[in-house]
Amino acid sequence: MTSIELRLGPLEAPGFNICRSGVRWLCDTGQHLRPNQVFAYCNVNLEPATGRLSGAPPFADELELQIAFAARVGGRISMNSSAARGGYLSVRGVDQWDPDSVIASIDPDNDVGDEADASRLRLLALAGRRMTALADVHSGLLPGWHGRSRAWWCEMGEMPPTLLSLGICDATGVVVGEQCAFFEMFEASRIPAQMVFIPDHPLAPATPVLLEQLRRSPEQFESIAADLRAFLARSTPAPSPDDWVFGGTLLSVMQRNPIRDSYNVFSADGLGHLGPAEAILLSLNAEPQSILRHRKLGYHVHIMRHHQAAAGPAIRAWLAEAFEPVRRSIDDIKRDYETLIDEVRAATGGRIIVLNRMSSSGYEDISSYMGFDLPLSDTLANVASKELNLMLEDIADTREFHIVDVDTIAANIGGREHLPDGIHQSGAMQMVLRQEILEIFQEIRTSQKPSSAA
Amino acid sequence: MVYEFRLPRIVPQMSGATIECVHAKVGDALKMGSKLVDMSVDLTSAFAQECPPISFFRVVLRETAWLRKFDVEPGRFCQLDGAIAVFSTDQNEDINQSAARQIRTTVAGIAHHESMWTGGHR
Repeated sequence: MTSIELRLGPLEAPGFNICRSGVRWLCDTGQHLRPNQVFAYCNVNLEPATGRLSGAPPFADELELQIAFAARVGGRISMNSSAARGGYLSVRGVDQWDPDSVIASIDPDNDVGDEADASRLRLLALAGRRMTALADVHSGLLPGWHGRSRAWWCEMGEMPPTLLSLGICDATGVVVGEQCAFFEMFEASRIPAQMVFIPDHPLAPATPVLLEQLRRSPEQFESIAADLRAFLARSTPAPSPDDWVFGGTLLSVMQRNPIRDSYNVFSADGLGHLGPAEAILLSLNAEPQSILRHRKLGYHVHIMRHHQAAAGPAIRAWLAEAFEPVRRSIDDIKRDYETLIDEVRAATGGRIIVLNRMSSSGYEDISSYMGFDLPLSDTLANVASKELNLMLEDIADTREFHIVDVDTIAANIGGREHLPDGIHQSGAMQMVLRQEILEIFQEIRTSQKPSSAA
Repeated sequence: MVYEFRLPRIVPQMSGATIECVHAKVGDALKMGSKLVDMSVDLTSAFAQECPPISFFRVVLRETAWLRKFDVEPGRFCQLDGAIAVFSTDQNEDINQSAARQIRTTVAGIAHHESMWTGGHR
């Protein structure tokens, strides 16, 4: 079998010079790779070709910009050691993008014949928008602390649809994968796609929170910010550094609207612009039975317990004084979902996908329900999960809405082994969920394409 | 007859549990269906991650007994198989004897509630 040299291939951003760092390897020479398995990456930056721009450059708010490399065919990889520059030269954009640069070669598993594309690397763009510009970490894949991260294949002739992940842990691992860089999702995907991930901190993506982000005007946001500033100014105890960081992050997240976000991309064809996400992935596990509502301004926050621990005493006092807990019945949660589905459809055309909940457990031995208060769904986690799962089915009867049946998948492959706490899945279960999500995404994409017969 | 309640292995990966809420006190005559204690199991040591995999469970009696010794308080961590409570079938029976067996209980996963030691919104 003939060894194939792997070249960078074209990457265009008209008006800009694309500069790249030295290559950093994610595997060893001699390692066997699957088709589309990422094996290396570099940092890139777009330098204005004329030295001066009339407006903000594309990607100005995405300070982490990287290209990851994958071979189109499976085989045994050999690195070109000169492609790794080392030190800061593997961090800074020191070289112009050269499509003919050879960074590795591969001994393919099968004869690829005259397939010209086999020598052209697949380029996976990675972009991270920092939660704060101070989150400046030099090395690694999508390093630092991001309020949004995303990835897309830079293929010629593709305008990828977007899947936006707005879930909690049960969605996070599935979407971002083991290295938090979407690699498994893209290796599994057979369709062009952009994957976008929004973390669940400090604000967890419960439906009331998402609805308010979708509707919030700049004036309403300013009222929220002014209220928090006023509280912190008179707070006893005085705000600690943790309070300022937490408060600033909370406001930064609240003024954004991930469902309406649009995206700049670059590829082999040049620069492009993608509209809001076609599909939005949510977690039923993100819906609390009780949520905090601001007593005066009426907006909701849902901050998960382990994230509340990051707040200082002043923010905790603010949450206790300015907010009241509001119970949510299953009907309330259903109504919130229906409203969100309708409003997202009207605002952007996006479709909602929800991961349902594991609703059975091998750890229970209930022989009598006498010790559990009624209604059982308020007390027993698995009864609540079953009722919530049924609620999703009811919604799907009246709206275009997609459910990823975590409950059935976990039962099929073994919940005890693959979903021990009901939320955090094993790698094997994540693979199954990934495939399920991609199939739904493909279905949504097909349904959204305009009919060619028209 | 003297019975005891030792922390059972609810989840295979657990090393212990934290007492979240105590529903009974020493001297109580407990019936079938009486709540004893709510506990949380945190699998963080088994699965290191930012979001702690915590599950909440309730222990409910499946037989009648007097609660004679109950050395727990919210927030206390109990080791797996650690003694949590001692019961007797007669109110004044001497409990300084070996337990005949474990008391019969039901253990079920429950939703977090505001009375738990692990905080709610605050």
